[in-house]
Amino acid sequence: MDTQVTKKKLGLKERYKLLTRDLGWETTFHSREEVFPYVHYEGIKIHDWDKWEDPFRLTMDAYWKYQAEKERKFYAIIDAHAQNNGHLNLTDAHYLTAIKIFLQAITPGEYCAHKGFARVGREFGGVGTQVACQMQSLDEVRHAQTQIHAMSNYNKFYQGFHAFSDQRDRIWYTSVARSFFDDALSSGPFEFMIAIGFSFEYVLTNLLFVPFMSGAAYNGDMATVTFGFSAQSDEARHMTLGLECIKFMLEQDPANLPIVQKWIDKWFWRGLRILALVGTMMDYMLPKRVMSWKEAFDIYGIENGGALFNDLARYGVRAPKGWGDAAAAIDHMSHQLMLGLYQWSFGTAFHGWIPSDDEMEWLSAKYPDSFDKYYRPRWEHIKKLAAAGTPFKNYGLAKLCQTCQLPCVFTEPGDPTLICHREIDYKGEKYHFCSDGCKEIFENEPEKYIQAWLPMPQLFQEPLKGDLGAWMNYVSLVDGQDNGDFDGSQDQINFDKWRGMATSNK
Amino acid sequence: MSYQLTIEPLGQTVEVEEGQTILDAALRAGIYLPHACCHGLCATCKVQVLEGEVDHGVASTFALMDFERDENKCLACCAIPQSDVVIEAEIDEDVDAQNLPVRDYTGKVIRLENLTPTVKGLWIELEQDIEFQAGQYVDLHLPEGIGGRAFSLANPPSTGKVVELNIRIVPGGKATTYVHESMQVGEEVRISGPYGRFFVRKSAEVPLIFMAGGSGLSSPRSMILDLLAEGFSLPITLLYGQRSMAELYYHQEFLALAASHPNFTYVPALSAEPEGSSWQGFRGFVHDAAIAHFNNDFRGNKAYLCGPPLMVEACIGSLMKGRLFERDIYTEKFISAADAQQVRSPLFRAL
Repeated sequence: MDTQVTKKKLGLKERYKLLTRDLGWETTFHSREEVFPYVHYEGIKIHDWDKWEDPFRLTMDAYWKYQAEKERKFYAIIDAHAQNNGHLNLTDAHYLTAIKIFLQAITPGEYCAHKGFARVGREFGGVGTQVACQMQSLDEVRHAQTQIHAMSNYNKFYQGFHAFSDQRDRIWYTSVARSFFDDALSSGPFEFMIAIGFSFEYVLTNLLFVPFMSGAAYNGDMATVTFGFSAQSDEARHMTLGLECIKFMLEQDPANLPIVQKWIDKWFWRGLRILALVGTMMDYMLPKRVMSWKEAFDIYGIENGGALFNDLARYGVRAPKGWGDAAAAIDHMSHQLMLGLYQWSFGTAFHGWIPSDDEMEWLSAKYPDSFDKYYRPRWEHIKKLAAAGTPFKNYGLAKLCQTCQLPCVFTEPGDPTLICHREIDYKGEKYHFCSDGCKEIFENEPEKYIQAWLPMPQLFQEPLKGDLGAWMNYVSLVDGQDNGDFDGSQDQINFDKWRGMATSNK
Repeated sequence: MSYQLTIEPLGQTVEVEEGQTILDAALRAGIYLPHACCHGLCATCKVQVLEGEVDHGVASTFALMDFERDENKCLACCAIPQSDVVIEAEIDEDVDAQNLPVRDYTGKVIRLENLTPTVKGLWIELEQDIEFQAGQYVDLHLPEGIGGRAFSLANPPSTGKVVELNIRIVPGGKATTYVHESMQVGEEVRISGPYGRFFVRKSAEVPLIFMAGGSGLSSPRSMILDLLAEGFSLPITLLYGQRSMAELYYHQEFLALAASHPNFTYVPALSAEPEGSSWQGFRGFVHDAAIAHFNNDFRGNKAYLCGPPLMVEACIGSLMKGRLFERDIYTEKFISAADAQQVRSPLFRAL
């Protein structure tokens, strides 16, 4: 018998070259400028698109096989979770608050990322870039779908899940995430890459996903954990696309550095504001805590982010402008936002509650420099009011920051007892800001941000004209069911009843 | 019992002895796999196992995550095959790599010389010729339980049986102290090699910049001697830093080479030479000398860096600010366990 000669396999690089060889044709009917009209107006100078490398060089063929396998595994587990009443394995129903915020605020962001990458994949000139953006676009739509499917099981049993897409568009705290993605989607292609590909996927993604997915694991939420594993395997590719983009811009022309630096400053600060929601979730909403927001920021922000900016310093990039303010705010931001969410809990599509004594002990151990001094006394006071039958509710509306759209609840850097508030006049109108970072972002592009859709002014316009009941219909919020105190809510009563039935003979 | 190791995408199959790692087997067969720390910390050598079983050995849980083990990734430097194994490595063909096989060599110390108060020159005559690419390193095996240490070859490949190592004494370092204080002419020593990807990419045909500091001169010296001997005609610039004139070994040799080769420019820099001494050359660090010499514009060159980590880092930063980037910068890194603990971002793959 003849000896079998194994054919030499093609290397990854050669295979990829063959895959993409005909995509980068020279245009003849139209000039390159007409075919790729959006790559110049931001001021980024590119001399050689072939220098943008896609080190993953994943072929479409391999991509489909890989994703299909992941889908099969994912849905098998989601089915098992649904059929075995997996929702009764949760540590407590108030864990679902975190998941409701995720579904209302973050999942629609995945969908926005899908749209954005589909768009920039068309707008960029290089072949490797086009393919990588197309794959990420497909990843993102898959992430949005699998998240919705993973959480849809809870919608059968609990309140607040039924209208996430309306709430994404209309309710006040989700407009923080909405405005972040709207801002990115209405940017040029390179700024979009810094906003989503670099800032969101690389600098902030660990701070967002690790807490949510570990939070899910710690609290018995198998559906969300499974989604997390399935998405995690795409993240290395996403991070790489963002990093390659920033290297590409910085290496192509020295004139790109100041533009890139400005975007880094802007999108770091915008991202940090979204993370205020995540920090609050970590510190207050998980019945079984993973780590504090402060600990997560130390590891993923200070240590990993610091390493990244050390490396970027070789290009002359400095750490984002708001870095110092961010580090100083870490001891306070989750507490300040949670106090806000509690006092406006009539207007949230999730429940609020006063932290228990145990939880306050944990907070004081995790925040030795701030909790007992500034925040425990407020919670004790709120607790006293609740016990006396006069719970503290703020039926006024929050003043929103024109840039990040969070209520102005944060304090001055360096003085946690003084609310930070900035305002400027622009073309005869007054605009409010929660911080210097947000004010500077506005000042750099005022014509963009004066068009921002803000939920509070919307309430006073046609057709609502300040009618709170009509507003609740408009945001698909059922009063007394989706909102208010967790204690005594249908979620709490039902979970306790069903769990009792599942674990005893009563 | 031995197993077969097949390495894709090359499709080459090699023998692996019991207890031998994938990396060791591949290197000894002349197949280069990316690697750096060689003890499971840095993850440079991560490869995909397509078929067969491996024992992960001492692979750090930080360098090889649990989920990667589930995906059949392994670290070649500590993965030991438990069956016939097929791996796929990300090997970009490098036309300048000769992929020379690693071998064990025995030889005798024929000369020992103090090149400076802290650097010892060590010449070994091997029993057979060693084939290597200028810039590569060998493992020198030392007695008294010291074991192997990596040193770059300071001689060009043309010297045949005789190899030269320049070894700086590290305070408290067992190996360097042995070489400086106990090693004798006539002593039998063992080396294995050649290792490393630090060699000149001659096929690029662009001018070359060498930046060397401390005892990092060995590789650049070997490379420059090799290039000049074979008539390389494009500009070569050596920026060479030491603390003081007393430490500036091979200074006369480079002055002579610069005088006899119009395409070779020699720029020595001293960082701690006493004020008012007879030194007429550049005072300061290598990267500052480079910025001044090239007027902060390094475009169109390839740069080869060798020296202490702080020097290399400063040089990379200067080169990048002068518009020379990762694809044109080459360094030889000796990763110690302490270096591997440093948190680095994945922004750069090779630097």
